[in-house]
Amino acid sequence: MALKQISSNKCFGGLQKVFEHESVELKCKMKFAVYLPPKAETGKCPALYWLSGLTCTEQNFITKSGYHQAASEHGLVVIAPDTSPRECNIKGEDDHWDFGTGAGFYVNATEEPWKTNYRMYAYVTEELPQLINANFPVDPQRMSIFGHSMGGHGALICALKNPGKYKSVSAFAPLCNPVLSALGRKAFTGYLGTDESKWKTYDATHLVKSYPGSQLDILIDQGKDDEFLSDGQLLPDNFIAACTEKKIPVVFRLQEGYDHGYYFIATFIADHIRHHAKYLNA
Amino acid sequence: MEEEAGEEPRLDRPTAPKDFHFYNMDLYDSEDRLPLFPEENTRLRRQTIQAEMTYDPKEVGNSFVDEGRMGVPAYPPYGIKRREPGWEQRDWRLEGEVETEDQDQDFSQWSMAGQSQALWESYRYTHGRASEEYECYVIPEEEDEEEAADLFCVTCRTPIRAVEKDFGEHKEHEVTPLSKALESAKEEIHKNMYKLEQQIIEMENFASHLEEVFITVEENFGRQEQNFESHYNGILETLAQKYEEKIQALGEKKKEKLEALYGQLVSCGENLDTCKELMETIEEMCHEEKVDFLKVSNETLGKFLKTKTDVEIAAQPEFEDQTLDFSDVEQLMGSMNTILAPSAPVINPQAPNSATGSSVRVCWSLYADDTVESYQLSYRPVRDSLPGKEQAEFTVTVKESYCSVTNLEPNTQYEFWVIAQNRAGPSPSSEHAMYMTAPSPPIIKTEAIRSCEEAALICWESGNLNPVDSYTVELTQVEEPAASGVTESVVGIPICESLIQLQPGQSYTICVRALNVGGPSARSTPATVRTTGSYFPLNKATCHPWLTISEDGFTVIRSERKNLTQELQPQQTQFTRCVAIMGNLIPVRGRHYWEIEMDEHLDYTVGVAFEDVPKQEDLGANGFSWCMRHTFASSRHKYEFLHNRTTPDIRITVPPKKIGILLDYENSKLSFFNVDIAQHLYTFSCQLQQFVHPCFSLEKPGCLKIHNGISMPMHATFY
Repeated sequence: MALKQISSNKCFGGLQKVFEHESVELKCKMKFAVYLPPKAETGKCPALYWLSGLTCTEQNFITKSGYHQAASEHGLVVIAPDTSPRECNIKGEDDHWDFGTGAGFYVNATEEPWKTNYRMYAYVTEELPQLINANFPVDPQRMSIFGHSMGGHGALICALKNPGKYKSVSAFAPLCNPVLSALGRKAFTGYLGTDESKWKTYDATHLVKSYPGSQLDILIDQGKDDEFLSDGQLLPDNFIAACTEKKIPVVFRLQEGYDHGYYFIATFIADHIRHHAKYLNA
Repeated sequence: MEEEAGEEPRLDRPTAPKDFHFYNMDLYDSEDRLPLFPEENTRLRRQTIQAEMTYDPKEVGNSFVDEGRMGVPAYPPYGIKRREPGWEQRDWRLEGEVETEDQDQDFSQWSMAGQSQALWESYRYTHGRASEEYECYVIPEEEDEEEAADLFCVTCRTPIRAVEKDFGEHKEHEVTPLSKALESAKEEIHKNMYKLEQQIIEMENFASHLEEVFITVEENFGRQEQNFESHYNGILETLAQKYEEKIQALGEKKKEKLEALYGQLVSCGENLDTCKELMETIEEMCHEEKVDFLKVSNETLGKFLKTKTDVEIAAQPEFEDQTLDFSDVEQLMGSMNTILAPSAPVINPQAPNSATGSSVRVCWSLYADDTVESYQLSYRPVRDSLPGKEQAEFTVTVKESYCSVTNLEPNTQYEFWVIAQNRAGPSPSSEHAMYMTAPSPPIIKTEAIRSCEEAALICWESGNLNPVDSYTVELTQVEEPAASGVTESVVGIPICESLIQLQPGQSYTICVRALNVGGPSARSTPATVRTTGSYFPLNKATCHPWLTISEDGFTVIRSERKNLTQELQPQQTQFTRCVAIMGNLIPVRGRHYWEIEMDEHLDYTVGVAFEDVPKQEDLGANGFSWCMRHTFASSRHKYEFLHNRTTPDIRITVPPKKIGILLDYENSKLSFFNVDIAQHLYTFSCQLQQFVHPCFSLEKPGCLKIHNGISMPMHATFY
C-alpha cells in the first residue's frame, strides 16, 4: 500500500496533501486528500472523514469549502477521498453524471459489472481508515465522518451502520432517504439490483429505524433554496421524523436562502468542524 | 639586689598583664595575649581591616583556593590577630561610624567574638593572605607545597590536608570538609553579626531613652526651681508690703498722739492764764469795795469753780498692743508644700479606630504641675432632638487620665468634657470634645448575593440609622489552610453594595463592616459565596402575578387556575403580557451558564433580555431579548430561537428536558444546549451593549426549575 504524494501545500500552519495509492477494494488507482494540522507534528490527532457529492473528486472540498482554518484550530486531520473508482474500463461508467464515475454512492455494488470495483462503502469505512491509521499521526479511536449531498448520505449510513465507530456525524444537504428519491433509486438499481430490501441497508432513514441507540449527535444543514430539496431528492423530513420517533438526536437547520453548492458549505463548515471537534476532542 | 630587681618585674608581670587580662577577660578568649595599649592597636588594626573588608567576598574565597595551592600555612595565626574578627564585625556593622569613645558599647560585641572563636579560625583562614601582611607570626614551612588543605579538623580547629587525616595527628579527630566548615563558620558569623546588630539597636535605644530621662530630669528640676523662686519671691514681696503698711500705720499713730498731747498742752496753758487773771481780779476787788467784792467775787469764783479743769492726759504715752497679722504669709508659706486646685485638663480628640459600637475611649491630659486626685468625665449624646429637650447628661469619676465609656448607642456622636479635682478643689472644665461610637454591623442580604466564576456582587443593609463613612468587605477563602485569617479586604466602599473580584472554583466567607470616624463596626454575620458557575437570584419585582416561586427560590410555577381575564396595566418592571420572571445576573462581562429543567411537553420561553425589555411584550418579540421558545401542539414539538420576532428554521428530534444556556459576553454569543445529551441546539450572535438577565416564561401551566451556580459542562466550552 505504497502512498504516492501528489501535492503538498502549507495551509493555516499545517499541510494540505494529496496522495495516490493502489486501492485493494476498488482495484484501481485512487487519490485522496489529507490535511495535517500543526498539532499533528507533535502528536496524534483525531481523524475526520469528508465524503463529497456527485461528480466531485478529492479536489472540490479542499479547494472550495474553506475548512482549513477550523481544522487547524481544532487540530483535526481531515481526509477527503474521491467519490468513486476511476478508469476501470467498465462499459458506461462515464455515461451519466449521477451514476458510475463520480457517483459511487458509498455502497458495495453487488451487480455486474460494478461489483468488482464499486465498493466505495468498504473503501471509506475499512481500507482508507487502515491506510490513514498506518501512515499518518492519527488516533484510531477518535474518528468522525461528514459529507455533502451523496456524501452526506454516505456519512449518515457509515455512522448508522457502524454504531460507535464514529464519534459524531454531520451532513450538508444529504440524500436522507435515497430509496424514495430518483437519484437514489437509479444508483441503487444499478449497483444493488432490484431487490429493494437490499437498498434499505444503505438508506439513512431506514437505518435509523433499526439503529441500536448508541449515542450519536447528528447535525444537518440544509439550504432552503436547494433545487435538490424542492425536487424531492433529499427528503430530510423523512429522516427527521424517523429520528424523532427513535429519539436519535438531530439538529436540523434549514438555512434561509442557501442553495446546494459549496458557497453554502463554506458558510457553515466551521459549525460542522466544531460539532465534530466537540466529540473528538472531548 | 640586681637579681631581686630583675625578678621584681617578673613577679609583677603576671599582675600587670593579668590586669589587662582581667580587663579583657569577658571580652576575649583567655588565650588572648593583648597588647598593652589596646586602643592604639585597635585603631591601627581597624585601618588594616577596613582595607581587608574592601575585598569582594568571592574574591576572598577564590584567593583562598589559590593560596592553598601555593602553600599558605595550614593553620591559622594566633595572637592578637584573634581580636580582629571582633573589630571586623564591629566595623561591618557600624560601618566605621563608631569611634573609640564608643568602646563601652563595643565591649559587649567583642565578647560575642570570643564565643565563636573556633569558627573564626576557620573563617579567618580564608582571609589568611590578606591579614598576613600585618601578622607577626612565622609561616611554617610546608613539606608538600603542592597539596592544599582541604579538611577542617574540628578538634584542633585547624584546616588540614586530607592526607593528615589519614596519617597525621588528626587521625582520630573529627573532620569536616573545609568548605563546609567555612560555610558553617560564615553562617555562625552572620548569626553573631545579627545578634550584635540587635544589641547595638538595643543599646542605642537605651541611650536615647537615657537621654530623654536626662532631659526630663533637667526640665523638671528647672521647673521646680522656677516654681520655688516665684513662690519665695511672692512671700518676700508680701512681707515687704506688710512691713511698709505697719511702718506707715505706726507713724500715723505717733503723729496723732503727739497732736493730741500738744492740743492738751495748749489748752492747759490757756486755763492757767485764766486762773491767774481771776486771781488778780479778785485781789483788786478785795482792796476796793467790800460789798461789791463779796457779791462779785462769790459770783465769779463760783462760776469759775464750776468750770471743770481738765487734767486728764488725752493720749496714753504707752505703745498700744499692735498684733501683727501673718496669716496670709503663712498661707503663702503653706502653699509651698500644699497644692492648688488643678487647671482645666486638655481633652484629646478621638483617636482613630478607638471606638466600638457601644464604647469610646476618651483620653485627656493634665498640666505637669497639677496634682489631680480624680477626674469627672461628663458626656451627653449629640442628637438632632427637639429644641428645648435637653439630652441626659452622664458623669463618671475616674482616677486615670482616660476612660472607656461603655453602654453607648452605636454610630452616635457624644460630647465629652472633663474636670480635674484634688482636695484643693475642682478645675475649670476642659473644652468639649466630640467622640463617635463605631457603627452597628451591617446586615448582608444573603438572598441577593450574585456571583460568577470571577466575581461576586454583595449587597447589605447599613444596620445604622445615621449614615456611616464607608464599608469594608472582608473575604476569607474557605479552602485555605489558614482559614481563620482574613485573606483580603476591600475598603472604602461608599455604598451598600460591592462587586468583588474572586478566584474561580473557590468558596469564600464574606463579612462586612461599617466604618465611621470612631472606627469599624463588628463584623456582620458572614455569608458564603461559591465561585462555581454563575449564581443569580430571581428578581421578584419582575414576576408576572400568575407565577409563583417555590420556597427555595428557583422553581417557577404557573398553576392550573382559571386565568384572570382582566388586562394588567403595563408596568416598568413587572411582566404583564408573557407570564415571565427575570433573574438577577451579576453584571460581569464573562461567561455565564445556567440550566432549566422542564417537562418536555411544556410550552416555555427561556433566554436573556435587557433589564428594561418591554414588559408588555412577548420575550423574543423585540430587539431587547433573545429566547428559545418551545410549543407543543398536535403532538409536535416546535422550537424557535426568537429575536425581533424572527427565528431560524431549526428542527430538533429529541425534546430537551433540561436546557443549558451559555451567555458569552466576550464572543457576543448566546448558546442553547440539550444538557442530557450534550447537544448543541442553537447559538445567537448578539451584540450585548448592556448587561442582560436570564428570563423565563411559561406559556402554559407547569413549572421550570432553574439550576445555577453550576460549572459549565465540557461540551459547552466549544461554543
